[in-house]
Amino acid sequence: MIYAGIDAGSRAIKAVLWDGAAGRIAGSGVADQGVQQGELAAGLFENVLSKAGVARSDVGRVVATGYGREGVSVADTTITEITCHARGVRHCAGDVRTVIDIGGQDSKLIRLDEDGKVRDFMMNDRCAAGTGRFLEVVADRLDIALAELGDVASEAANASAISSMCVVFAETEIVGLLAAGEGAANIVAGVQNSIALRIKAMAGRSLEEPVVFTGGVAMLPGMRVAIETAIERPVKVAENPQLTGALGAALLAASDG
Amino acid sequence: MNQHLEQIPFERWDERYRTLAGGGMVEPAYGGPMRRHVDNGDTRLTSLKFDASASSLRLWNFLLTEEERLRAARESGRKIVGTMKDLGTVPVMAYSSPRLTAFYPDGAWWIPCVMELDAGLLEIADSLGVDESFCPVRAMLGAFATEAHFPIPDLLICSVGAVCDDFSAIAQRVNGLGHPVVWWEIPHRRAPGQGEEIVRLPGGMTAPRSQVGFVELELQRVREALDEVGGHRLSDSDLVDGIGVANEVRKELRELRHLTFTADVCPLPSLELLIAEMLAIHFCSDREETLAVLRDLVEEVRGRVESGAGFFRADAVRVFWVNPVADLRVMNLLEERGGRICGTEYLFSHAIDEIPMDIPPMEALARVALADPMVGSIADRAERICRDAREFGSEAVLVSRIPGASHCAVEGHLVGNTVRKQLGIPVVEIEVPPVSDPMRPTLSTRLDALIETARATRATGNGGD
Repeated sequence: MIYAGIDAGSRAIKAVLWDGAAGRIAGSGVADQGVQQGELAAGLFENVLSKAGVARSDVGRVVATGYGREGVSVADTTITEITCHARGVRHCAGDVRTVIDIGGQDSKLIRLDEDGKVRDFMMNDRCAAGTGRFLEVVADRLDIALAELGDVASEAANASAISSMCVVFAETEIVGLLAAGEGAANIVAGVQNSIALRIKAMAGRSLEEPVVFTGGVAMLPGMRVAIETAIERPVKVAENPQLTGALGAALLAASDG
Repeated sequence: MNQHLEQIPFERWDERYRTLAGGGMVEPAYGGPMRRHVDNGDTRLTSLKFDASASSLRLWNFLLTEEERLRAARESGRKIVGTMKDLGTVPVMAYSSPRLTAFYPDGAWWIPCVMELDAGLLEIADSLGVDESFCPVRAMLGAFATEAHFPIPDLLICSVGAVCDDFSAIAQRVNGLGHPVVWWEIPHRRAPGQGEEIVRLPGGMTAPRSQVGFVELELQRVREALDEVGGHRLSDSDLVDGIGVANEVRKELRELRHLTFTADVCPLPSLELLIAEMLAIHFCSDREETLAVLRDLVEEVRGRVESGAGFFRADAVRVFWVNPVADLRVMNLLEERGGRICGTEYLFSHAIDEIPMDIPPMEALARVALADPMVGSIADRAERICRDAREFGSEAVLVSRIPGASHCAVEGHLVGNTVRKQLGIPVVEIEVPPVSDPMRPTLSTRLDALIETARATRATGNGGD
């Protein structure tokens, strides 16, 4: 039996098909999020099914997660991304005790017990400063493609200090840095450090290892190192970090279905 | 067999009202159908879900007719006292006088919610220099400016010092509009030092004797101001009687909370409990009627508990709620997402604690004022939250931030850390603006995550001490 997970995030929709019998991913896909969120999710789902050669009738159960989960009409039920990311990461890294998930809209720190159950979680919601949205704003301001930010940051000689707790004010700081002749590499590295420090503040002093980094922002080179430096612990990036939530949703669909 | 109770949406209130009236419901003078409040502009009611009992209808009608009650009090010659920032001490004194009606102008912070921003109070506050970087209680400033929501009080009393910074600034602006204010100072409650006499406060905290003495002197100034405006010299005997009635109100509220939080099946939704708890602050401008409303509600809830009747799923997660919300709709949301209320700390737990009756009344009131959760360290507050959460068997804690409120800046983090350390149960913070509709997906996600995590903790038995 095939099970599906759909992660309707703020920036992208992700879908994963899980082959319960074979114990492997049978298909996956990513699409940009948009205005017609329900239709976009349904379209992606159909596309992923088609590419995997799976008929809709072969799918036993569909779990939706992410901020847009309530609008995913093809789903049988919804589960939050906290539980889904924890499940997805646990599948890839069985001994994980802390999950850091940075998405487009928020960042989360999830603590797991030794059995992989969510014990507690923290979410940053006060501002976009600790999220992928910050990187989007910076990329836009510096006229750099989002996917290239990591490469740009790797050239930094001396990361800029970004002190603002707010993206709007931070953007003002960036304008000031550019006016002062600061290079884009140092600014991007400074923004990455700023995000990493927000994660550190959220984590507090007690943070159990192993730590796994997931979510769309984990795909950007440089973020892992920035977080490692901030929390002073090794950090591993999850396999296919953008798909972790959808994978977790599919696995939960399988376990409940 | 347990009876499952359902909340009703606003559109079913007309039919429900006819049924209740046809069944012989006896209403007080302020009774009537819920619809008239919407007709008067309280449009947020149409988005809420309600307990459909006659007792809860009475509670809502009592709450939503306060402005009429204040106007009637003025017309009858009573003097009106606005007790600002103080959550449950000065009103006890004011109602000890036969000629005073006290109310809580800060309560205007719910007007932007219930009128869905139509009253324009926040915009008026903006224009007066108190913008969205302040707590929504700035709506009070707009209400003073328009004079459209409550009669301008004959006397304004406001506590300052170790209280909310936002509120002090807003009250100063009210003062600047030409409304005289009697200010009284409340110091930051501190632990008694070596050699200092220790005084026990309601709620289990302590303070040095010198602080109690200081507050007593400050309240003495308030007493004199009340004497003057009321034309009646408040005697100790008056105050003892007033404290006695206030304690009756507090006893009913403690009973209501105990019944609601400890019942196997939730006997009262969180929204109605929130409204009931708020009555403790200033008696909604009628102390005797507050007592009657609460007794009626307690009787209703006790009956439900005894018969096993209640709301929501039997396995609803028991959530302890910290801080009141600016948007009442969010209380419904908790229950829609699989939770039930099981413990609250709405910043005025001292207004529910019993006022000591075995000491002189002014000292008793000073002790209550110093037990205010906002005038001490957040650690004290967190300790109380943990103690109450443990007593009521809470499985999760929700800290609701108020946008712009200075006390919310770090308290959620500190309360969360204490709860996690002492109780090992999940904690989440949410921020609730006066109209939270655009935030619904975000709020739902946080509530869902809290519920899911608490259920996982319940399944593995990892919670608790």
